[in-house]
Amino acid sequence: MDFLSLAMDTAKSLGADYADIRIQKSSTEMIYLRNLSLKNTSLNEIYGYGIRVFKDGAWGFAHNNVFTEDAVNGTVKKAFAIAKESGRIKYGKGLVLAHERGYIDSYKTPYCLDPFDVPLSEKVELMMEVNKTMLNFAEIKLAVFMLECRKDEKLFASTLGSRLDIHTVYIDSTFTATAVANGDSQSRTFSHGGQARGWEWVQSLNLSDKAVQVAEEAILKVHADSLGAEERKTLLLDPNHMALTMHESVGHPTELDRVLGWEADFAGISFATPEKLGNYQYGAQIVNFVANNTLEGGLSTAGYDDDGVPNQKWYIIKDGILNEYGNTRATAPLIGLEMSRGCNRATNYFDFPINRIPNLYLQPGKEPLTPQELIADTEDGVYIEGRGSFSIDQHRVNFQFGGDMFWEIKNGKKVRPLKKVLYKSNNPEFWNSVDAICDDRFFKTFGVTNCGKGQPGQRGRMTHGGALARFRNIRVGGSQ
Amino acid sequence: MITKKDRQKAAEFIRKYSNADDFNFSINGSEDLLTRFAQNGITQHISGNKLNVNLRVTFDSKNGEASGNNLDEDSLKYLIKTAEGMAKLNQPDPEFVGSEPAHDLPEVDNYAQSTADLPVEKIVDDILTCVKNAEGKDAKLSGISEKHVQDTFLVTKNGFEGFDRSTSFSHSMTLKKEGVETKVSRSVKDHAKFSMLTMIEQLNSQFDSLNNPVQLAKGRIPVILRPAAVLNWLFYLIWTFDRRTADEGHTPFTDQIGKKFFGDKFTFRSRLDDPDLEASKFLNGGVPAENIDWIVNGILKNMSADRYYAKQINLKALRPYNIIVEGGDTTESEMMKMVDRGVIINNFWYIRPTDRKTGEWTGLTRDGVLYFEDGKIQKSVTNFRWNEILHDATKRILALGPSVQQEYYAKVPTLLIDDFNFVDVTTF
Repeated sequence: MDFLSLAMDTAKSLGADYADIRIQKSSTEMIYLRNLSLKNTSLNEIYGYGIRVFKDGAWGFAHNNVFTEDAVNGTVKKAFAIAKESGRIKYGKGLVLAHERGYIDSYKTPYCLDPFDVPLSEKVELMMEVNKTMLNFAEIKLAVFMLECRKDEKLFASTLGSRLDIHTVYIDSTFTATAVANGDSQSRTFSHGGQARGWEWVQSLNLSDKAVQVAEEAILKVHADSLGAEERKTLLLDPNHMALTMHESVGHPTELDRVLGWEADFAGISFATPEKLGNYQYGAQIVNFVANNTLEGGLSTAGYDDDGVPNQKWYIIKDGILNEYGNTRATAPLIGLEMSRGCNRATNYFDFPINRIPNLYLQPGKEPLTPQELIADTEDGVYIEGRGSFSIDQHRVNFQFGGDMFWEIKNGKKVRPLKKVLYKSNNPEFWNSVDAICDDRFFKTFGVTNCGKGQPGQRGRMTHGGALARFRNIRVGGSQ
Repeated sequence: MITKKDRQKAAEFIRKYSNADDFNFSINGSEDLLTRFAQNGITQHISGNKLNVNLRVTFDSKNGEASGNNLDEDSLKYLIKTAEGMAKLNQPDPEFVGSEPAHDLPEVDNYAQSTADLPVEKIVDDILTCVKNAEGKDAKLSGISEKHVQDTFLVTKNGFEGFDRSTSFSHSMTLKKEGVETKVSRSVKDHAKFSMLTMIEQLNSQFDSLNNPVQLAKGRIPVILRPAAVLNWLFYLIWTFDRRTADEGHTPFTDQIGKKFFGDKFTFRSRLDDPDLEASKFLNGGVPAENIDWIVNGILKNMSADRYYAKQINLKALRPYNIIVEGGDTTESEMMKMVDRGVIINNFWYIRPTDRKTGEWTGLTRDGVLYFEDGKIQKSVTNFRWNEILHDATKRILALGPSVQQEYYAKVPTLLIDDFNFVDVTTF
């Protein structure tokens, strides 16, 4: 039975203005190792379909996991009935969907080794080796390793005539060593935050060497000094750290649904309102943020979004100025746009697609500049690696970040490790304080696989990136 | 929802066809209806049933686990094959603990027919009432109404069998007009005990008390934390409330069991017999839930533990399954007269740890902040960022209001806390 056609024919016969069906199988393998104890070794597979019906400017969505003609028809009818109920309280005069056409296409994450074909024993052996390496250090009291492999196989059809076959894969390999000494406990983590690549990527990471570095730096950190009272300082932020800062302070504020107030009750709204497009100095002139859902290895790269809109590349911030948002077919027309940028994504078959951050990165500097040269050019500052504490207000203005590893820089050299460093800044101060970005030889990408958004909450994923960058005159200090 | 006959048939199939030394087999199902609205219109509307079927097996302390969302025989065969295949390829777990045997479980009633029967038309009618209220104030309303019916079923190779069916209804809404935004939220297990008009009154009361906020300087100042803020704050305290990580030296609770680590006025319990609150019949793979005191008059009595660690230190493997913070009898007006000046906080936002060992957290205020002086509210002020050691803050509790139901799993009071540490201010 062609359930895709059945669902679309039923939706049209009911009088839907638009409808789509997403049949999705999601497989997730999780392995969690804590001090050589395998706390979780699991494979979760969920399979079902979600049907969206758009009628008179309002949405209805129903999902099911029963694949019979009756069940599919019943689910379409349920979505249609709910759309009619939604129509009783329309958004404005009713939503309008941005123009789009149908596509018949397929997409597959490029990889050599399917992580689901790699034997569990090989993965566990690697994780055990990393865990043992870290625990060989006497002051490392806790070593954890979390490996997640996920595969999504989607068939999408819409009343526009689209038929899409999308197959994506990602791997997230994260381990942490925690040192306990002198009444303190400090951790250091290795993580790329997930990449849409095959197992060959994990094999290329030299995790055993990284385990030694992580353990040594956790020990350095637990014996390190903290900073004193807050003062204005220079920060050097590595791309892994910046992945989180750009996610929170650029990615979320430029999601158009937030800008429009659709997340006002939960995730919050945005200061970056439409009248600022084209004139708001979001960052220094050297700051360019590129949205790129065609990025190879990117976690949002899937060929098409869950509106059936092709993946695209565009500037969110160009030469420091707010240029455009990430949007969807339902949000784009509300600021006068005719086409969507294709940022509507759902996590599982039973999730309603929502306006998500695209793959988003800080463009590298145009002038040749190495990290060594940037450090050498910095008289007094703090170099931050990796991700730590993060907190930002619901308008995405005021924020405070920590990090995973901190180094004091004096007279152009890393002189000592630090711990418990926090910095406070805000939009637009933060990105306007950038005065140097290393060049494209040092550009790196890092994923986010746990972006919580929506009601009910969904776990979104996207990739960020950049090269080491310098921020001047930021409030930096130790925690209490 | 899955019938009793289907559950038993599936459990029998696993017992018959699994060759594992041990297993835990669970079925969790839900029937969900979610209506989301923003800017006075519905933006998302979801209906459907979800199912999670999970099998964890063990051979010689080697574990494997598989889950899916179907109960037919082919799907169950696949689960057995997958889980057993993983276990055979796995390495032994030195912390393996065998599954729970049969237990007598406490009587708990988590189900309300009024919630299960709630139709979508009634939910939309109520949202329409809320939207009309917002339009009457020339303001915009955003929020969500949710109805859930949930099943939890667990059987083990060693004879445990438990089932629970629960219901919940929740509604939250944020009202915004220019620089004023505020939110109310509440959930109940029994929709018959929910009043939308009471929620609208509370929302209007908060909204009308606020006006365009002015900035107040950062620094230490007394705060009146309303129940939503107290609960939000307590969630994060509970997040680190693990006995093993404390004993291993990673959190501030190391060596503090039995000691007065919190303030005298702070008492936190979980209870099976509160008629308004949902409570689990069993926890952690089949451990029967029981009434438990976590913190009494500031003394740390108990902490969460998994089954392995609980066995190591001869404790029961429990966790907070609901939250009851003991209240007092001080009204908000009386609290305002107990200190020279302070701020009233409706809620917190984006709470994250800044230092896990000392127990320092950061967060922001949200949903409206009011400045009071000389016993009276003076003005709305912009939001603050705070960095606080949460357990230390309980030592600065000056007064407590009555404990009130905030969610279907929590009753908490309003708290007056001295010298709350605001480290930054926002622009709104």
